[in-house]
Amino acid sequence: MSSQDAVVEIHELSKHYGEFIALDNLSLTLNRGSILGFIGPNGAGKTTTIRILVGLSRPTSGYAKIGGADCVRDLAKVRRLVGYMPDKFGSYDNMRVREYLDFFGAAFGIARKERRKRVAEVLELTNAVWMQDRYVESLSHGMQQRIGIARTLLHNPEVLILDEPANGLDPEARIEMRTILLRLAAEGRTLIVTSHILPELSRICDRIAIVAGGKLRAVGTLQEVTRELSQRRTIEIQFLTSTGLADVASRIRPTLEADAEVTVSEAEATIRCRTSANDQKMAALLNQLVTAGDRVSQFREVAGDLEEAFVSAARVAEAERTERESGAASSAKAEVAR
Amino acid sequence: MIGCLVIIERELLALLRSSKTLAIFLTVSVAFSGIVLLKWPSSAIVDLNGAKGREVFQWLTYAMLAAAILIVPVFPSTALVTEVRRHTLELLLNSPLSRTSIYLGKALAMLGFVVLLLFATLPALASCFLMGGLSFTDDILKLYMFLLLVSAQLVVVGLLVGTYCRSTESALRWSYGVTFAMTIVPFFPDALFPGGTSPIAKAFQWLKLISPIPSLMQMLNKGSVGGSGLMETRDVVSWYIGFAVCFILIGSVVCILRLSHSLLDRSRSQGFITDDQSQWVQASRRVLYLVDPQRRSAGIPTLVNPLMVKEFQCRQFGRMHWLLRLVAGCAVLSLVLTLASAQGTEARGVEYTGALIIVLQVALIVLLTPGLASGMIAGEREGGSWDLLRVTPLTTGQILRGKLISVLLTLALLLCATLPGYAVIMLIKPTLQQQVVQVLVCLVLAALLSMLVSATVSSFFRSTAVATAVSYAVLVAIFGGTMLIWMNRESPFGFDFVQNALRLNPMAAALNAMQADGFQSYDLIPSGWWITGITCTVLLAVLYAQVLRLTRPD
Repeated sequence: MSSQDAVVEIHELSKHYGEFIALDNLSLTLNRGSILGFIGPNGAGKTTTIRILVGLSRPTSGYAKIGGADCVRDLAKVRRLVGYMPDKFGSYDNMRVREYLDFFGAAFGIARKERRKRVAEVLELTNAVWMQDRYVESLSHGMQQRIGIARTLLHNPEVLILDEPANGLDPEARIEMRTILLRLAAEGRTLIVTSHILPELSRICDRIAIVAGGKLRAVGTLQEVTRELSQRRTIEIQFLTSTGLADVASRIRPTLEADAEVTVSEAEATIRCRTSANDQKMAALLNQLVTAGDRVSQFREVAGDLEEAFVSAARVAEAERTERESGAASSAKAEVAR
Repeated sequence: MIGCLVIIERELLALLRSSKTLAIFLTVSVAFSGIVLLKWPSSAIVDLNGAKGREVFQWLTYAMLAAAILIVPVFPSTALVTEVRRHTLELLLNSPLSRTSIYLGKALAMLGFVVLLLFATLPALASCFLMGGLSFTDDILKLYMFLLLVSAQLVVVGLLVGTYCRSTESALRWSYGVTFAMTIVPFFPDALFPGGTSPIAKAFQWLKLISPIPSLMQMLNKGSVGGSGLMETRDVVSWYIGFAVCFILIGSVVCILRLSHSLLDRSRSQGFITDDQSQWVQASRRVLYLVDPQRRSAGIPTLVNPLMVKEFQCRQFGRMHWLLRLVAGCAVLSLVLTLASAQGTEARGVEYTGALIIVLQVALIVLLTPGLASGMIAGEREGGSWDLLRVTPLTTGQILRGKLISVLLTLALLLCATLPGYAVIMLIKPTLQQQVVQVLVCLVLAALLSMLVSATVSSFFRSTAVATAVSYAVLVAIFGGTMLIWMNRESPFGFDFVQNALRLNPMAAALNAMQADGFQSYDLIPSGWWITGITCTVLLAVLYAQVLRLTRPD
């Protein structure tokens, strides 16, 4: 990825709260028009990163830039470039949806005539025209999420940062939300979306970043991330017929590591291997099968699961934390003994 | 009954675990000990008739009533709203507990808290008892029983208000409003039309009795407030007890009836809009309404501060049609005050009526301003909308200006309401023109001070309810505390100390300008103006610094 195309640029970003490290040297770039799924367990550092990006928090070290504007020094420019939807809606009492949007439009300095047009546009874009005269506090959660997105779009920002937009939505509302987000990306906007609903993210995001324990564990396309984080890969070998598959499986087993799983599906004429073997070993296995005259019709790797990658990253972070804590405890003991 | 005990245990333990409760107990103990110390006999001559003991007792009695009025509404008013907002009321209503058990549990827990609060005053009353002249059963026990009854009434008010409100802040505001309306406001009509024989004047004399203060005065053999020196001949105490018991019973029944799932399932407005109605409806609403509240708004004008408009829109009575109603209400109030000024002048002098109007106006300002300004920052932070404001290009100055102007305009309306009363005063006694101008300056300063105190307090808290309670406490300390010092002007406080204390209170400066009884000897203008002005400037600077800090990246 060339850094000239990058709209969002995060370089060695760290945030410390006393001794607690919320973010640890996080670096990331994001191109125009892409959707980044920003995932991680609770307390991983997602919201901290987002708050730094929108100028609500100051990093301890490193920097973040949006559209070339520094998120600390060029705050005024960043505010115009970014549309931010926090996980909490932030409603006002006794205000109708239209008035609510009108207020935020006015806060961004949009002139009244232009604002009226813009409010109508964003309501249309988020399929929310029918709720324009409702009171904001009386809307359901799903409706409020849509109004939240409409609010972020008012000043026509280049980058949208949405914290848990699908949280608490029913399946229908989630589908609608997905459609809206894809429509926004198609308009050329860059989106950063955090969510715990991983299948949802894997459907819409072209890039995934996984953070855990304040560190970036993996970033890339869904396939790259899952391959990077999954400790085992699944190789699917399909044969022309299902005869003698058990025999083939017994020949495959010794070529893989001891704890590799080899399962036979006679109905599909397929053997599946869950293994940590690298590409060279896999190539050797294929060669061995072909040489032995086994009629292989397909030999492919099955795309990994985002959930598995997520759990794997969380486990690594947890192991690091435990190690750190036990290290600190043992050094404290040693200190006492001394 | 067991269910009721479960609720009592939970509520009382939750109350007693809070650090705020400890702070309240400590403050009450220290304040009451302070009163005893201030009034402790300094003369070496032994007082054998117990007059000194009775005097201290009288002070403690008023202070205890004031403490009950200020502290008790906080807890019951927020109890039910908090349950609704945390969704724990659903759990209670779906449990085998009856509605009566839930209500009684909450009410009795609050009363238990009041009993503990009254215990905090025991050392002070014990010292007073030791001075002599007091009977344990006729004075002390009777006083405690009476205060318990008043507190029970206030608990019912708080719980009842809580069933109507949706936020802790509005519950607190309305609770204080109703409490003041039942305890202090009933005096004003009788004070403005004293000793009359007309049916209206007689109604005002009876209205006064719904407040516990006349009963307390009768218990202390002190006649009645606003009685223009006439001793109260009616059995005020029995009348009040009857009224309070009826109120508690009826209020409890209403509260129990309201304590149902309907509290959790309030209807959502469908957003009725005149613009979408038929031509006929639109035309008829144009005739019926001066400003149609259901009309689609044209949007915020480009050059107007958007936050100011937003504040008016979000406020319960901030919309244009409500403001027009407020103006109309104020106009009626001003006519009544004008009438009072004209009627009472012959009997008591213009100064008396002027002083009464000043006290009424300041009371209104103190009552309303925390409701308007203490949610200014705390409300935004509590509701999560503060971060949304922070990511807009609005500057700290714009945010502050918009919010402060919206409060100022409302307070200005309120102050304008009573101007005709002063006009009549000037008409009757043209020489008072300069004093009236001074009074108006003092009132403007009082409004500014109240607004800035509430706004500054608001910037230090995340919860509007806490900010509102603290704002009331600070304002009562400024406007009421200094008057307490003035009431002790002969002993133990000296002239200079009282004068310096009164300089902090713009109401005292206004009373001084009006040459009200007891204020003529002080020199509070312009020094009082300077002090209030400087205080306001300091508060504004603190407020600005706080808002600047809160808008900057963490």
